[in-house]
Amino acid sequence: MSQKTEKLIDKKGLRLDGRKPDELRPIKIEVGVLSNADGSAYIEQGKNKILAAVYGPKELHPKHMALPDRMVLRCRYHMAPFSVQERKSPAPSRREIELSKVIREAIEPAIFVEYYPRTAIDVFVEVLQADGSTRCTSITAASLALADAGVPMRDLVVACSAGKVEDTIVLDLMDAEDKVGSADVPVAYMPNLGVITLLQMDGILTPEEFEKAVNLAIEGCKKIYALQKEALKAKYVSVKEVEE
Amino acid sequence: MSVQSSKRNSGQPVLPGEPLGVIEEFVPDAGTYVKDGVIHSKIVGRSLLDLLNKRVSVFPLVHGARVPKVGSIVIGQVSNVQTQIATVRIFKIGKKLLSGFFTGLLHVSDVHLRFVESMFDICKPGDIIRAKVISEKNRAYHLTTKDKSLGVVYAFCSQCGEVLELKGRGLRCPRCGKIEKRKTAIDYGIGII
Repeated sequence: MSQKTEKLIDKKGLRLDGRKPDELRPIKIEVGVLSNADGSAYIEQGKNKILAAVYGPKELHPKHMALPDRMVLRCRYHMAPFSVQERKSPAPSRREIELSKVIREAIEPAIFVEYYPRTAIDVFVEVLQADGSTRCTSITAASLALADAGVPMRDLVVACSAGKVEDTIVLDLMDAEDKVGSADVPVAYMPNLGVITLLQMDGILTPEEFEKAVNLAIEGCKKIYALQKEALKAKYVSVKEVEE
Repeated sequence: MSVQSSKRNSGQPVLPGEPLGVIEEFVPDAGTYVKDGVIHSKIVGRSLLDLLNKRVSVFPLVHGARVPKVGSIVIGQVSNVQTQIATVRIFKIGKKLLSGFFTGLLHVSDVHLRFVESMFDICKPGDIIRAKVISEKNRAYHLTTKDKSLGVVYAFCSQCGEVLELKGRGLRCPRCGKIEKRKTAIDYGIGII
C-alpha cells in the first residue's frame, strides 16, 4: 500500500485532505431527487456519493412474510460496480448483505412500524462512489428518504463515524484512514431523543479512547443533523411558498 | 429537552422528532407523538398551536405513506372473478397513485342494494373499478360498490378487448357489437382515473 509511507496526520495536526481531527468532510444533501420513488435522497459526503430511495408502504408478497401487527422494513445496500477503484462485482457480497441488515436495524427504531400492519417498506441504498464510512452516510440518506416518503417517524436518524488514526481520535474517517488507521467507530443517533441506534467498533481502543470517539461521533451527528434539516426544509418549505 | 420560546408560534416548519411542547401545556393531536412527557412531531409539516383549546398538531406538508382505510375510495383493476367474489388489484387510494398495490375483495352481497345473482354480470377481469373499503378484517380489504358513483369505470370487451361504450342499461362493444353487462359507475367512460 502506497499510503502506508505517507503520514496520515502531518506535523500541524492536519489530515490527508487538510481537515482538523474533529472536522467533517464537506456535505451536500438533496431530497426528492427521484420521481418514481415515494421518497428519495442524495448525499455527497466528501467523495462518498450515495442515493437512497423508499417505496411503500405496500402489500408484502409473498403474503406469509407479512407480520400481523407491524410492517416489514426491507433494506438493500448495494455498491455500484464503479464505486471503488477496482471493479466490484454487482452481486451482493457478504459485506453488503450485512450492511443491509445493519442499516435496517439502525433506522427501524425511528419508524412507527405498528401503524402499517401487514405491509412492507423497501429502502434501497445505492453507493455510486465510496470513500469510507458509507454505512453512516447511507443511514443519513435513508432516513431522509423515509421522511420524504411521508412515513411517520420518531426522529430523523443521523450517522457519523469516528476512529483512531496514529494515536489521534478523529471524526468522519475516509477510506485511507479506515484502512490504515487502527480503529473505526460508526454511530447512528437520533438527535432529538438522544438515542443511539447503531454502535459498532472495528479495531482496538481503550475504554477512554472509545468514550472519546463515541462523543466525537455524536458531535459530528449533530452537525450533520443541521444539514439534514436544512435539506428537508429546502424542499418542502420553498415548495409551499411557491404555491401561496 | 427545552423548547425555545422563539420557535413557539404556529406555522413553523417542523421535521420528524422536533419537540413541540410538553403534555402539561398541550393536548397532542394529529401528526404528533408523546415520549417522556414531551410532544414531538412525527412528520414533515407545519406546527399548529391552538392556544384556545390547548391543542398542538402538525399540518402535513408531505402526503405519502397511504394505505387503504375503512371508508376510503379506491380504484383498482379486477384481476379475478368467481361467481361469489371478485379480486381487485388496488393501485390508487383517493387521488394518490400507489407505488405498489393492495389486494381487495368484492363480494356479490356488497355490489348492489338489490339481489345480484352472479359476479360475472358485475365485472370481468381487466375492468377498472371504483369501490369503497368497508372492512379490513381477515387480513383483506373488503370493498363495496353500493353507490351510484361506485362501480366499473372502464370495461373491456371479453371478445375483442375494445373499450366498451354505454348503450341503454348495458354496454356495447363498438368493434364487434357484443352486448355486455356490468355494474357501472355514474361516470362510466368519462371519469378520469
